Amino acid sequence: MSEQAVRLERGSHYDLDNLATFIAWSGFIVVVLIFVWILGEILVNGISVISWEFLTESPGNAGRSGGILPILVSTGVIVFICLAFALPMGVATAVYLNEYTLKDSRFAKFINISIDVLAAIPSIIYGLFGFVFFNNVLGFGFSLLSGGLTLACMVLPFVIRASIDGLKAVPDAYRESSTALAMSKSASLFYVIIPSAMPGIIAGFLLGIGRALAETAALLFTSGYVDRMPSGVMDSGRALSIHVYDLAMNVSGGDANAYGSAFVLIVVLLVVNSMAIYIGNKIQRRQLR
Amino acid sequence: MKLGIVIKMLFATLVFSLVSGLSQAEDKKDRLVLTGSSTVAPLLSEIAKRYEKKHPGVRIDVQTGGSTRGVNDARNGMADIGMASRAPKDSERSLKFFTIARDGIAIILHKSNPVKSLSDDQIRKIYAGEITNWKDLPGGLDEKIIVVNKADGRSTLELFLKYYKLKSDQIKPHVVIGDNQQGIKTVSVNPHSIGYVSIGSAYYQVKQGIAPLKLLPMGNVVASMDTVARGKYPLSRPLNIVTKTQPQGLVKDFISFAMSGEVHDIIEEQYFVPINR
Repeated sequence: MSEQAVRLERGSHYDLDNLATFIAWSGFIVVVLIFVWILGEILVNGISVISWEFLTESPGNAGRSGGILPILVSTGVIVFICLAFALPMGVATAVYLNEYTLKDSRFAKFINISIDVLAAIPSIIYGLFGFVFFNNVLGFGFSLLSGGLTLACMVLPFVIRASIDGLKAVPDAYRESSTALAMSKSASLFYVIIPSAMPGIIAGFLLGIGRALAETAALLFTSGYVDRMPSGVMDSGRALSIHVYDLAMNVSGGDANAYGSAFVLIVVLLVVNSMAIYIGNKIQRRQLR
Repeated sequence: MKLGIVIKMLFATLVFSLVSGLSQAEDKKDRLVLTGSSTVAPLLSEIAKRYEKKHPGVRIDVQTGGSTRGVNDARNGMADIGMASRAPKDSERSLKFFTIARDGIAIILHKSNPVKSLSDDQIRKIYAGEITNWKDLPGGLDEKIIVVNKADGRSTLELFLKYYKLKSDQIKPHVVIGDNQQGIKTVSVNPHSIGYVSIGSAYYQVKQGIAPLKLLPMGNVVASMDTVARGKYPLSRPLNIVTKTQPQGLVKDFISFAMSGEVHDIIEEQYFVPINR
C-alpha cells in the first residue's frame, strides 16, 4: 500500500471519528443544557424566597406567605413510610427471583411480566387504587400512611428491577466460592451477595426516593392537601410536590413561593442522592473486606 | 434463626401500628372533612385555619379533587362538606348548596384603547385568532391585537374557556401569563393588548388609578365587585359548599362562619368577591 493510500484511509477514519465525537458531544451538551436551564430557572427564581423563616414556619394565606415546615415534615414521613415498605419487599422479591428461582420457570416469567406491567401503570391509577384500598377499605382515611403505602406500591417495581440488575451483576464465582467455603445460603446472601449487589439496590433506593418526592397525582387522593403540621401517621399532610403544584396552579400570586418550594425539593433530592451513593459505597466496602 | 426473629418483629410492628392507627382514626368527634374544587380549596383552607384558631380542639381537613368529586363526596358521606366552583346541576338539586363567595373574570384593555365594549362573539374571535387587528372592531385603531392568555391549568382560564366555549389549543396567545398581577402589568404596558384577570385583582387597582386599565362591560353589565356579588355579571361563577342534608352542629356553625363578614378579608385576599349580606 502506498503512503498516500494509507493517509487517505486514515483520513476517512478520522472523518467518521469526528462525526461520532460530534454526535456524542451534541447529545451530551443538549442534556446538560436542559438540566442547567431547569436548575437555573428554579435557582434564580427560588433563591430569593429561601430564608430561615421559609424553612421553619407554617404556610399562611394559602401558601403565598409563611413557610413550608409542615409540608417538609409530611413529605419526609411519606417518603420514609414508602421506602420502609418498598425497599425490603423489593430487595426480597429481587433475591427470590434471581437467587431462588430458575430464570425460565413459568412462575418467574409470570412475576417478571407483572413487574413490567406494574411499572407501566400511570401514577394516577395508583392514586385511585390507594384511595379505594388504603383510605376506604382499610379505613386509613386521608393520611400520611395511605400516601406512603400507595407510593410504596408505585415504587416497588422500580426497586425490584434495579435490585435484580444489581444481583445479576454479582459474578457467579462469588456464589460458588461461598458454597465452597460451606457458607449457608442465608449467610452467603447477607454477607456476600447482597453487599455486592449494593450499587443496584442503591439505584433502586434512589429511583424510589426520586419518584416518591416527585409524585403529585397519587398523593392528592391519598395523603391529601392539608397543610397543618401532622401529629401522627394517621393525619393528612401535604407533600412538597403538591404544594408546588397548588401554588403554581390554584393560588394566584403564589408563584414566588412555588419557586421557593421547588428549589427546596431539588436541594433535598440532590442531598439525598449524594448521601445514598456515599453510604452505599461505604456499606459495600465494609462488607466485602 | 436470626432472620426469623427479624421477620416476626417486623410483622408485630406492622400489626401494632395498624391497630393503633385504626383506633386513632376512630377518634373523629371534632373533625370535619371537606373535599372538592381545587379553586375553592385554598380559600376554605384559610377559612378553616381561622375557625380552628377560634375553636381550639376542632380540626378541619380540606382536601381537593374537583367540583364533581366534592358534590359526590358530600352526597355519599365521604366528606362532611363538599366544595364546588359551579352552580348545582339538575341532578344535584336535592343537596344543600351555600354560596360563600363568587369568582369573576374581567376582560381588561389599556385605558388609551378607544374600543368601548366587545360582544362575546368578538372576544371569542380575538382569542381564536380570527380577528387580529383592532381596526376590525368598532372604534378600534389600526394596530395589531396582542392577545394575553393565562397559563394552562389556571382556574381563571378554565372559567374563561367554558364561558366562550373555546378549547385551550384554539387560543394563539402572544403573551402567556401566570398570575393576575402579571396580567395587569402586561396589559398596562402594552396599549394594544387584551387580557383577562380575576375581577378582585383588577377592580381596586383600576378604581384607584394604579393601573392604566379599563374593565370591559359584559353585555350591558359593568364589571364591578357589586355586579359579581349580586350574580348579575355573566362571566362569573359561584363558589359553593355543599352538604347532603340541612347542616347541624359543627357543620352548621362552620358554614355560618364561612358565610359571615368575619372572613371577607380572607376572600378578598384570594382575589374572590365576598357576597354582602
